[in-house]
Amino acid sequence: MTPRTLLAVLAAASVAACSPGTPPRPDPYDVSRMDLKPVPARVSAERNKGAFSDGASLSKGPELKPLDPSPVKTIRLDTTHKIIEIAPGVKFSAWTFGDQVPGPTVRARVGDRIKFVMTNRSDEAAPGLRFTAAPMMHSMDFHAAMVSPQDKYRSIAPGQTIEFEFTLNYPGIFMYHCGTPMILEHIASGMYGAVIVEPRNGYPTRVDREYVIIQSEFYAKAPAKGDKSGIYVLDTERLRAAQPTHTVFNGVHNGMVKSPLPAKPGERVRLHVLNVGPSKTSSFHVVGTIFDRVWFEGNPDNQFRGVQTVLLGSSNSAIVEFMIPEEGSYIMVDHHFANASQGAIGLISTAVKPPVQELEHHNMPSVDATPTDPEAVRGQLAFQSKCLACHSIGQGKKLGPDLAGVTKHRDVAWLTRWLKSPETMLKTDEHAKAMLKEFNNIPMPNQSLTDGEIREFIKYFQWYDAQPAGTVPHSAGGH
Amino acid sequence: MRLAGFLSALLVSAPVLACGYCVEDKIASVYDHAAITRALAQKHRVVFFHVEGALPYSLASQRDIASSVASTPGVDAGSARFKPETATLALAYDPARTSLAAVQAALEKRLARHKLSLMALQIMERPGDLKTAKR
Repeated sequence: MTPRTLLAVLAAASVAACSPGTPPRPDPYDVSRMDLKPVPARVSAERNKGAFSDGASLSKGPELKPLDPSPVKTIRLDTTHKIIEIAPGVKFSAWTFGDQVPGPTVRARVGDRIKFVMTNRSDEAAPGLRFTAAPMMHSMDFHAAMVSPQDKYRSIAPGQTIEFEFTLNYPGIFMYHCGTPMILEHIASGMYGAVIVEPRNGYPTRVDREYVIIQSEFYAKAPAKGDKSGIYVLDTERLRAAQPTHTVFNGVHNGMVKSPLPAKPGERVRLHVLNVGPSKTSSFHVVGTIFDRVWFEGNPDNQFRGVQTVLLGSSNSAIVEFMIPEEGSYIMVDHHFANASQGAIGLISTAVKPPVQELEHHNMPSVDATPTDPEAVRGQLAFQSKCLACHSIGQGKKLGPDLAGVTKHRDVAWLTRWLKSPETMLKTDEHAKAMLKEFNNIPMPNQSLTDGEIREFIKYFQWYDAQPAGTVPHSAGGH
Repeated sequence: MRLAGFLSALLVSAPVLACGYCVEDKIASVYDHAAITRALAQKHRVVFFHVEGALPYSLASQRDIASSVASTPGVDAGSARFKPETATLALAYDPARTSLAAVQAALEKRLARHKLSLMALQIMERPGDLKTAKR
């Protein structure tokens, strides 16, 4: 075919495509057909004293309830202050929607009307606790809505209630969060959740399982010396420097390792993944499978096929769908492994309780064996975050020695000197020199640990060495 | 050099991370639940003002404004909260002894040397009940 002929064919095809006989495909996002009718928000001093969250369209855990067919969805998400456990032994002073972190997930579809009500109950005392954050103003910002922020997203004082409504015009997975200054602090304290909006005619695929995975960061500061509450509070310095202490799925460090999401071989799984940040990006990946479809932002019009990892900025989302090829535990992970090492790990498993050994291939520690002393807990978390690349505890040598039994071979003073300044010890101490030779002259780098961090590491090693043989699971270095 | 100094001062004083635009955001920036609860328990009122004018960048000047407000007759001791970043001021007063108009007039007299004036935004007479302030 000559270029001239080719041009003629293309021109004819183009004319045919635009001929009057072919009706144009309606734009599903035609703004003139969207419901943008504003109804002013209403603020009152009526305080709700009932449940902190309410609505048939809400799911409170990772397992999503089926779509509620009602075209009008009434939702209550009250704000509270409460203590939550974000990691073993780490009790954190959180601010919540619906008294949980993340807040309940809203499920609806394009065209549905959301009638939202929220009472600020941050001034209600948490049962049994003397300490929570001071009551303060809060608000709600729904990314799924197209409304005036000055009207609908206004902050309300403790004891006040705000009501507003809107129609869902776009499909997707949308974040909701508190928008009261300082927004960064409100999100980092736990005030976020997801709204899942299905396309008007549903998704183009059928699946066997659906879960919601929300990634977020915590910036937790340990209780000050002498503070007997044992409660961690927001570390605003780390928050502003974007240096989280925990990066988690669904609010808990390694939470879905302890409680894996079930699936069976041959099943198709749909994950609704949302990264709420507030400051880190997620490289969401599931070890052992390939995403058959990825709908960026949860909208099937934004489709990729055959994807290994989805990159999600703060408040980005995606639906990922994949098959479970065979029996096993498929590991959800933020492939920014620094984030994974802070707790952004979960399992989708064909077994009710997956064997803990399966995690060993990925340097992911077991969470079953946990000390109770807060310093030892911090030491364990720090060890899991910083040391597993070079050391094991009870599983043999790696780049560096196995640390099981280290407190029986070396006293606290030696360990303290070693952790404080390994480079000095390598020049002056015979044991250190011998260890360097044994490990191919690879020196232990100085980790710039504080005295407190060193004490925590040693407390963890002492706890480990005090466990009776056989009581610590193998992947945590059991005897 | 002067420009660099100006820009650094601007950055230091900028409303970090807060839009500070909405009335409620401004109120949230000075909202102190303990102080409000204390005032309302005494049947006092809490008023939130927008501070109009060029707020000084220096911390010393900002402290001077805060102490001027705190010592103004009619303002409850320990009740004033001033946030330069959002140009917002909160304070409590006893309506049995003075009025909002009188408190505002006394405050503006003191703030005149900083070329600042006040606009009452909202007032709280009962817990959880913020209303538009009327002089």
